[in-house]
Amino acid sequence: MNIFFSGDVVVVAEGTIVIQAFPVMGGNLPVSAIEKVQQVNGVRTAVPMLVRFSYQVEDVIQLVPTNVSIGIPPGNWSVLVGHTLLKPGGNWPSGNPGKEEVVVGPSLAVQYDLAVSSKVKVENANLTVVGILDTRSALLSRSIILPLELAQRLYYGHTMWINMIVAGPEEEGIQEQVANRIEEEIEGLEALTTHERHEIIEPLLHDVETWTLGLSSVLYLLSMILVTTVAMMNVSERRRDFATLAAIGAPKSAIFRMIITEATLIGLLGGLAGILLGSIAAILIASFYTNIPLSMFFFDLFNIVSPLFMIKILASTVAVSCVAGVIPAIAASRMNISEVLRSEY
Amino acid sequence: MYRLGASVIVAVNKVSLEIKETTFVSIAGPSGSGKTTLLNLIGLNDHPTSGKVFFKNEDTSLLSDRERREIRLRNIGFVFQTFNLLPTLTALENVELPLALAKIPPKPQREKAIQLLEAVGLTGRLQHRPKELSTGEMQRVAIARALANNPFLILADEPTGELDSETGCEITKLLLSLCKKHKTTVVVATHDERVAKASDVKYSMRDGMIMQDVGL
Repeated sequence: MNIFFSGDVVVVAEGTIVIQAFPVMGGNLPVSAIEKVQQVNGVRTAVPMLVRFSYQVEDVIQLVPTNVSIGIPPGNWSVLVGHTLLKPGGNWPSGNPGKEEVVVGPSLAVQYDLAVSSKVKVENANLTVVGILDTRSALLSRSIILPLELAQRLYYGHTMWINMIVAGPEEEGIQEQVANRIEEEIEGLEALTTHERHEIIEPLLHDVETWTLGLSSVLYLLSMILVTTVAMMNVSERRRDFATLAAIGAPKSAIFRMIITEATLIGLLGGLAGILLGSIAAILIASFYTNIPLSMFFFDLFNIVSPLFMIKILASTVAVSCVAGVIPAIAASRMNISEVLRSEY
Repeated sequence: MYRLGASVIVAVNKVSLEIKETTFVSIAGPSGSGKTTLLNLIGLNDHPTSGKVFFKNEDTSLLSDRERREIRLRNIGFVFQTFNLLPTLTALENVELPLALAKIPPKPQREKAIQLLEAVGLTGRLQHRPKELSTGEMQRVAIARALANNPFLILADEPTGELDSETGCEITKLLLSLCKKHKTTVVVATHDERVAKASDVKYSMRDGMIMQDVGL
């Protein structure tokens, strides 16, 4: 869930300190801050970054960003991408002045038909794609990674601003102390440790999870009522069949199992249909809010809705239906044979 | 005795009846006279509010539900007025059902069911579902189903009630001949005079009371 601060994978590694971590809010830092951070006791490296989210594609404003451009000094790529490699034939931008080179994420490459040596237009500049990331990360897939100076020139027209510094402590376990020192020694900077970054994100995730849990609980309850009703109607319509089965010697347990199996099958089919329709809805919504073509989401379905999540949904739907079948199953297995046979003539 | 809404119905009253092995017994009487309730009591589908039902000299009131079910499965075959075939199963599967419940292995189960359906003249209708069969054919399937576990007793409740006169006659003959062949005791509740005439012992019921019809 935490794609921006997810440790090894994207943007910032675990154990590093992030200064002015909210490019999404439009905050900036002067480049002079880099040297100040570097001079703080306990700081091993201070890597500046310029992160810029794009909310607009071809004059259409989106609620969620579609692309992200990340500028970083050449040679510091691993701070950003961790162990992520480039696809064969690709290289990282050389950073030589006059060479306007970028690396793009695979999703962007597919959408705009980009390959190594392709030209891509960013802020009216024609940049050359020199590499394509080999990643399934949602953020990196939609990233344009370029040398910091080039990013600064493209987005600000000068090299005075950055919006993030990733500071690496000299040794493990002193992250908190170093972050405090940065805040004390450099006025106006907020240095976020791994723990503090999680504290920012977690309440949001917690809210989302609470809403999801509440909504899914209500839906499961409704499903249970629905399956019980359907199974009750089913039993009611087939009273004579169950009474006949009991009359010719079917044990109560067999009738009970029959109803439970039917309810479970309803749940299985309903769960499969729900997963299919839910996946389609997720793709449609994702495409609607990002303007990324539908076809790209179809190929990437399992990244949007994970197979494990699908299995969990299916298993819980089947379990809920199975439980919902218990009352109708008891009703069917305990019916009075002679009464039913008499009333059904 | 049973409840129908707020009222209590005494469906069978002071009935004392002994049915001898391999006899064909008919119970005639108007609707509501208690024939079906009597068959349900004999067939162990119901418990008498007073009195006892003996099956093969065993007091059935002392049996558990499981033991009563076992007797119904292995010793009693039922033929209903409205056939009561399971609509989602084919004719063959309907006949296989009691065999499957009696845990007969699949192969002999199928052989027995085919043999019984051939005996009732439905060789070409094995894979038909009840809605694809005529009423006479459905009753033949029901008779084959009733005979599946070689029962000691067959209880038939108005087996010709839903059939036209000609088909009813055929079904009566079929029931008679198969039961003679299998040496099965048959108790038939019926309105049909021809069925009553064909029986070895005739009873008639009125207001829950039974009396033997000696043909005077």
